Amino acid sequence: MNLKLLLASLLALVALFAFPTLVPNPYYIHLAETILIYAILLFGLDIVVGYTGQVSLGHAGLFGVGSYVTGVVVVKLGLAWYVAVPASIAIAALFGAVLALPALRVTGPYLAMVTLAFGTIIQILINEMTWLTEGPMGITLTKPALFGHELNEVQYYYLVAAFMVAALLVVHSLLKSHLGRAFEALRDSPIASDCMGVSVYRYKVYAFVISAGFAGLAGSLYAYSEQYISPNTYHFELTILFLLAVIMGGRKTRSGALLGAVIVVLLPSLLADIDLFRRIAVGAAVLAVVGSAIALARRRTTPRRVAVPVIATLLLTAVSFKLDNMIDWRLTIFGLMTLFVVYYLQDGIVGFLRQLAGRGPRHASAVAVSPGSDPFAGTAVAAGASTLLQVDQVLMQFGGLKALNRVDLTVMRQSVHGLIGPNGSGKSTMMNVLTGIYQPTAGTVAFEGAAITGRTPARIALSGIARTFQNVQLFGEMTALENVLVGLHHTFRSTVLDAMVHSPRYMREERAARKRAAAILAFVGLADLANEEARNLPYGKQRLLEIGRALGLNPQLLLLDEPAAGLTAPDIKELIAIIRKIRAHGITIVLIEHHMDVVMAICDTVTVLDFGQKIAEGSPAAVQADAKVIEAYLGGSVGSISSPGNPAPHQVPG
Amino acid sequence: MLSIHNLQAAYGKVQVLHGISLEVPKGQLVTLIGSNGAGKTTTMRAISGMLKPQSGSVTLGGRDITGLDSHQIARAGLAHSPEGRRVFGNMTVTDNLLLGAFPRYAGARPRGDIARDLEQALALFPRLQERRTQLAGTLSGGEQQMLAMARAVMLNPEVVLLDEPSMGLAPILVEEVFRIIARLKSEGVTMLLVEQFAAAALHVADYGYVLENGRIAVHGPAAQLQDDPKVVAAYLGGGQAH
Amino acid sequence: MDTLLQLVFSGIALGMIYAVVDFGYQLTFATSGTLNFGQGEALMLGALVGLSLVGTIHGGPYMSYWLMIPIVVVFGALQGMFVEWIAVRPAIRIKSEFGWIMSTIALAIIFKNVAENIWGKDVLPFPSPLSSTPFEVFGAKVQTMQVAVIVGALLIMAAVELFNRKSIYGKAVVATASDRDAAGLMGINTRMVITFSYALSSATAAFAGALIAPLTLTSATMGASLGLKAFAVAIIGGLTSGVGAIVGGIILGVAETATGYYLSTGYKEVPGLVLLLLVLAIKPSGLFGKTAIKKV
Repeated sequence: MNLKLLLASLLALVALFAFPTLVPNPYYIHLAETILIYAILLFGLDIVVGYTGQVSLGHAGLFGVGSYVTGVVVVKLGLAWYVAVPASIAIAALFGAVLALPALRVTGPYLAMVTLAFGTIIQILINEMTWLTEGPMGITLTKPALFGHELNEVQYYYLVAAFMVAALLVVHSLLKSHLGRAFEALRDSPIASDCMGVSVYRYKVYAFVISAGFAGLAGSLYAYSEQYISPNTYHFELTILFLLAVIMGGRKTRSGALLGAVIVVLLPSLLADIDLFRRIAVGAAVLAVVGSAIALARRRTTPRRVAVPVIATLLLTAVSFKLDNMIDWRLTIFGLMTLFVVYYLQDGIVGFLRQLAGRGPRHASAVAVSPGSDPFAGTAVAAGASTLLQVDQVLMQFGGLKALNRVDLTVMRQSVHGLIGPNGSGKSTMMNVLTGIYQPTAGTVAFEGAAITGRTPARIALSGIARTFQNVQLFGEMTALENVLVGLHHTFRSTVLDAMVHSPRYMREERAARKRAAAILAFVGLADLANEEARNLPYGKQRLLEIGRALGLNPQLLLLDEPAAGLTAPDIKELIAIIRKIRAHGITIVLIEHHMDVVMAICDTVTVLDFGQKIAEGSPAAVQADAKVIEAYLGGSVGSISSPGNPAPHQVPG
Repeated sequence: MLSIHNLQAAYGKVQVLHGISLEVPKGQLVTLIGSNGAGKTTTMRAISGMLKPQSGSVTLGGRDITGLDSHQIARAGLAHSPEGRRVFGNMTVTDNLLLGAFPRYAGARPRGDIARDLEQALALFPRLQERRTQLAGTLSGGEQQMLAMARAVMLNPEVVLLDEPSMGLAPILVEEVFRIIARLKSEGVTMLLVEQFAAAALHVADYGYVLENGRIAVHGPAAQLQDDPKVVAAYLGGGQAH
Repeated sequence: MDTLLQLVFSGIALGMIYAVVDFGYQLTFATSGTLNFGQGEALMLGALVGLSLVGTIHGGPYMSYWLMIPIVVVFGALQGMFVEWIAVRPAIRIKSEFGWIMSTIALAIIFKNVAENIWGKDVLPFPSPLSSTPFEVFGAKVQTMQVAVIVGALLIMAAVELFNRKSIYGKAVVATASDRDAAGLMGINTRMVITFSYALSSATAAFAGALIAPLTLTSATMGASLGLKAFAVAIIGGLTSGVGAIVGGIILGVAETATGYYLSTGYKEVPGLVLLLLVLAIKPSGLFGKTAIKKV
């Protein structure tokens, strides 16, 4: 951690704990307490919304579950806070699992729909189950007792502040760990994530359950803070406020969550004071007009794009002067703020300020390559049957179209096996079948003797098959190093708890992974680009990074899907050299490629597909001269360029 | 009729077309051949509006259509039978054909007699005639290709772009497809044909362009290209520099 | 037995409204992959605008119920186009699912707040165009308006289906839903198709609002729970099947009215969520939905 950040954090910590002394007014202390409680929930919500990019419309409900579990445990069961608080966390997390497990199985807005339903139902259930929750009457609590002494307002504030700091540290550790990388990966490229052994479904569920736990904690603390809870606090408006806080403050940052909490807690008071609101509306309008004028003058934007914010802020100012109070229009203001943030302030205020300061999000920085570190550590050259991969009579049918028509393929251990064929011949389909993205309509695939047909891509990846993609599927917002670290995700045995506290086991595994990643990056020639965001790398380097990331899986079999596509001649030379070195380490390679020179240079065997069927197989030279292959590529029957008895002059393998 | 001048196009960071120029005179069949990854389909997409070109120009019958949306280009009279057919699987053969004539219904092109054109199209493709009420998704690959070509013709277009019509088809169907292309040519339809099957394409075309790594490597009358060794080299490697 | 039949009938009427709202979700989801989280508010606005025209709240009545219906439908269409323009189009451009979900929600709460300020927060009575004396069917008491709701809902869904099958413009919409790129190559302006599907979606919701208003409690808050219930229908019946919408709607409507009577009115919302979770767990594409093979 750099010095500036450390200093700023210490200052903030001092201010946090000195607050009640500086501002002894109990109203403000309670307000600050609410901000801290909201912040705890928002830290968790940010994992779901900011990192995995899902929408949850039920966090007010989870918040309510936390509050009511505490209320029931304390008042009905007469137990202490050290039972109530963990119970709230656990039960909220359980509800989170019940929601997320079915809803996240399908892509689409289903999580949003299910959580919306959940939030509504929870409020209804709390209202109706009067035997448990006292229904609309609500539950009254007293502050928790520490060592037999009931805490007063200020002491409870300190307790909440301590919880908030703990929550911040836990979330921060979690997100800086391999789990945080997994969350980001599944958002940047779900398909690459699955193929690197990070199951998108599983981690989305983890993210939601963890955020539910935080919501439960916040709810529990809230119940003690308010000392009275009733069903109509936990309504849809609260969920919207939570979401607004996360996106307005800034996603993927802790300071954003804190800022968001401050804004939404103070917002209602702001709206109650019409003079203050008018002044702020005028300020916003001036900012919008002046900012747009400057941007237009500098040609950074077009009139169309600034029209909406300018008109909106001017209208808002006009309206604020016409009306006598804004309280009735509270929700409209929230709605307008949400719209504004979603389209114009996508990284929130903190993100916007960071951009102005020219700083991007912070990344884990790479370590130097230690001498003697082996990029292939962990990839045991397994002795076994000479046949590594056996594809038997695989049929892949889409409707009436047979993309693969009963294809057999045998890949020998430690060979470089090329797979070529004209467009639409089924090569990429084969790739997707081998990695579990498609389930074949018929036929089997066996890897190292065991059948892998029917397994998920993540499981197949963890069995030892790694791949690269025809259209580069890197995790764009992460650095080169972090991309490789995702490939090394499987080397971590640490649990969520280890990640949350950065236990010694976790630190050991992280250090080892970083060393290995550095070695891999050096191997593919990207050592000096390790801290660059993947999306900023030149295209050729991106392709090499994909290979490096795949190596992290300790694969026995590496599938390369058109690795030379779009590369310049020097890049291709580098690629060939790297493939040779990988092969020298005992890894078997299957290569789809159109660049014949690459195929000829490095493949031991070549299989040719056409129209979903295998039409030739053998050494590169033999295949290149095979009449059927020439016909498949150039067309033979209708007027030949070169027919079997009449080979074209330049057929000499070169 | 169709003029492409110095067209450049990219997918994200990958520069695919480095400035290609070609001409498709009215009533002629011009073919664009080249190996995979050369940029043939990218060229088609850049012409028909599925992809916005970075620079260069595309002119249809004297009208500049560079950078327009695909529906505007279709309404200007350019029909594109895309790579992979892309027929509307949950609609009948007849509906697919009628949709090909959509701009004529919408008034963007001269209406003519759509019902008569529909019958003529089905007469040209007897297999589709038999299956006129069948859902397009249940047709075989070859039948879908014919449907895509017939659909393009329903526009009464100025130019037809045919993108790899032989892709994934058995040889006997490929023959049929090329027979139909020859028939369309004899009816005076202006076509730009992108093909991997260089031999068949050059056999039926008037003029040919060979695309390699996003550039035109060689071009000339189709008959001449058929004997040109540079064409083979562009496909199977061996010899020329990248 | 009579009570049960009555409950079933009320449930069907209610369920048909859910089906119409879900139908609206399907329309936009098919063409654009998005749906309007404020669909319930479109229904609410239809009901309230209708009330202003046929009720006394804003100095009326200005016209009969039957004349009001087409005006409300047009209003709904305009409202749908507004939602598409403000909330959906920018999100599609930046390919953000989060974007259209949040912004349609934002518009929904704005509409609700505006409605609260124009029409107040209280429940308002809606004058029924038909006699409220029930007639007997197999011993159950059935209101004429309930029949009108069922007939009206079926009619509008049938009308849209007919449009999709017979008219070239309807076919253009189906083509856009099937393959947007290929539809563009046919000369179909797919952006306009999406706008049109939003207009149609909100128009049908507004129509449903005007239909159900005489039978239920009309207020600015009526939309939220209706939109939500229609989500449950979307999941139960599938987001791609019109038949699924009707069957899912009926199942939900009957379950709800039965629970409300036999258990308590407070609990009547619960079967919806339980069914929703069950269906999601067992057959995620819904009872009638198709599981699509994603091509990579």
